[in-house]
Amino acid sequence: MSKNINASSSNTKFLYAGVIIALLLAILSPFLASSDPDGLESAAEGVINEEKLAELEEAAPAFSSPIPDYSIEGMGKAGEVVAIVVGTLLVLAISYGLGKIIKNK
Amino acid sequence: MHIPDSFIPLWQAIFYWIIALPFIFMSVKWAGKEMDDMKVPILAALAAGIFAIQALNIPIGMGTSGHMVGATLVAIVFASPWAGVLVLTLVLLVQGFVFGDGGITTMGANILNMGVISGFVGYYTFAALMNHKLSLQISSFIGAWLGLLVSALACAVQMYFAGTFPLIPGLVAMGTYHFIIGLVGEGLITAVVLTAIAKSRPDLLENSYIADRGVKA
Repeated sequence: MSKNINASSSNTKFLYAGVIIALLLAILSPFLASSDPDGLESAAEGVINEEKLAELEEAAPAFSSPIPDYSIEGMGKAGEVVAIVVGTLLVLAISYGLGKIIKNK
Repeated sequence: MHIPDSFIPLWQAIFYWIIALPFIFMSVKWAGKEMDDMKVPILAALAAGIFAIQALNIPIGMGTSGHMVGATLVAIVFASPWAGVLVLTLVLLVQGFVFGDGGITTMGANILNMGVISGFVGYYTFAALMNHKLSLQISSFIGAWLGLLVSALACAVQMYFAGTFPLIPGLVAMGTYHFIIGLVGEGLITAVVLTAIAKSRPDLLENSYIADRGVKA
């Protein structure tokens, strides 16, 4: 029993440490992240002709998301920090909540 | 590697959703069996960390960048690739619906590539290497790297079926970039995080990392 209580409190500590690291990453990434295209985008630029690529890139997404591209209009880097922090907390809440709902017992 | 809606025709995107759904269902079933009050905080911490680190694109040269996916890391911590599928599904849902990062129609393909393929290849490669007495660091580094590389090649094949990429140039380009992203963004970070967990909380890895008894595979 006492072993369970110890493990439980150290798992809570693990959660706090994880959240702090995640929030630090969220705050720093708008300043540190490379703005170069990612592997898929770079590959697309290399293997698709320009005309078709422009067509694919300009196509409207199937769903218009509330905070597209992690940026909030007129807020610059601060907006990106807010967006990624919000996303991190949202994933935290959903995974914690879902974990509690579907857990065993 | 988040595929936008326009890169895959709708009927093919639906086909990938149909393949992805049973894997998502199995991952929820895994959680129903294996999750308890002790493990929920670990799952939530990893999910939040993976969402945040996916925002950190690392430059790899050639005018290209890449970020960690994280399915192999989660799978190793929970000693099950289903944990990786579950966490990546949640992360991709938030990325797609809130931030337009990856399409909604193509989310099935993205879950299949990043959640299923990278996590399963990564975890079972890790397990095989551990069973051959390689260290936690080497096994997780190679597993995570290979998982990412194979998932990128799968993505290139999907792009070929979609009529978006030619086959060979697509495979070469996706393979080249993700070979490097896999080393820096996936392999290295996975090995470093697991080393930190093994030092601070070795009990968490009891199921996944038992040096003298091998890895459940």
